[in-house]
Amino acid sequence: MAIKLTRLLGILSLVLISGCYPKGAEFIDDLDLVYTNYSSSFDFSSKTTYAIPDSVIKITGDIFSDPDGDHKPSFLGPASAAAILDKINQNMVSNGWTEVNKFSNPDVIVLVSTVTTTNVYWYYDWWYWGWYYPGWYPGWGWYYPGYYPPYVTGYKSGSVFIQMVDAKAVAAGTENVPVIWSCILNGLAEGGTSSITTRVQGMIDKAFAQSPYLKH
Amino acid sequence: MRSMKKIFVLLIAAICLQKSFAQHHSVFILSYPIAFPMGDLGDYIDKQSFRGINLEWGKEIKPNLIVSLETGWNVFYKDVPEQVYTEGTASFSGKQFRYTNSVPIIVGAKWVLKSSNNLVPYAGLGLGTMYSDRSTDFGLYRISTDAWQFCVRPELGITFKSRNGPAAMLGVKYYSSFNSSDLDGQSFLTVNIGVVFPYGL
Repeated sequence: MAIKLTRLLGILSLVLISGCYPKGAEFIDDLDLVYTNYSSSFDFSSKTTYAIPDSVIKITGDIFSDPDGDHKPSFLGPASAAAILDKINQNMVSNGWTEVNKFSNPDVIVLVSTVTTTNVYWYYDWWYWGWYYPGWYPGWGWYYPGYYPPYVTGYKSGSVFIQMVDAKAVAAGTENVPVIWSCILNGLAEGGTSSITTRVQGMIDKAFAQSPYLKH
Repeated sequence: MRSMKKIFVLLIAAICLQKSFAQHHSVFILSYPIAFPMGDLGDYIDKQSFRGINLEWGKEIKPNLIVSLETGWNVFYKDVPEQVYTEGTASFSGKQFRYTNSVPIIVGAKWVLKSSNNLVPYAGLGLGTMYSDRSTDFGLYRISTDAWQFCVRPELGITFKSRNGPAAMLGVKYYSSFNSSDLDGQSFLTVNIGVVFPYGL
């Protein structure tokens, strides 16, 4: 009887504990991440002018594809692009930079791109079925010969990339373009456009705040 | 999820093991630990844990000596408000959600100071292993490390005997595990409040 009681208590306690397991992230912006990095050999303080395109491009794959043949990529919608670019310009100006035309010999060029990815869960542990068929062992896995299975559920994540390019080094005719500052804003691309825009704008402010070397 | 499964299996195994201890003069101690992280664990999560359980099976091999098998589960958690982390030229900012699950499995001995009144103090020392599973959620990413580490666990406590049936206990246990390749040694102190069930008497 005593053993039964203790066993019952043990199991009951397990149930109670699993009920109060910490929850972690609760809101979409809890998952926002701002990454910045820069070239320590580049002298930011001596550069003051920048040029920036008036569009934000959408990255659709590793390699540039141009299905409609106009030599241009896909662009982010003008309202969202303006919200992002305005925020970047505002931060650049308040850090002491001056925007100039791309033909007016800018010191740096700021390029903005976005990418969204749909992440799907289709994998689960093989051993979920270990109870069913005699001779099925843990440690095995799945494979789908020659095709991908349908997905069960998923979420969309998105990133905004900001690259600051040394414009003078490009002019010198090098084959590779030196990116002297890069910034990735990453998070869930879920919720309405206006809430995403607000989050992206907040993250742009944070990116500049954590990059004090950009300030003049 | 895998580690949860592992922990669950371990606890069930430990519960089943009590059968082998279910002979004469045995005790089962069920206690609720409040854990205070220290050392490397304290640097990572500087917040006490109210999530935990501790189970112990003991057998009296001499009038004042009990050998015991102990296991438990302590969940440490802290959400770190958004801040900037800088490494070299790279900076990251975001919120972090930090978790550590600790499951000690300890074989120990308790020396009991028999006294005429109902308060019975004891001191113990245990050796065994501690499984630690550390996960940091940062943005959409999770960084996880787990390790089985050698663990030492001294303890002090007192039991309040009742005439018949279970006794109450209050004790302090200190768990200190040793560095392994994946993770520095983890240590924490628990204050345990529990019940001692004698059986097989």
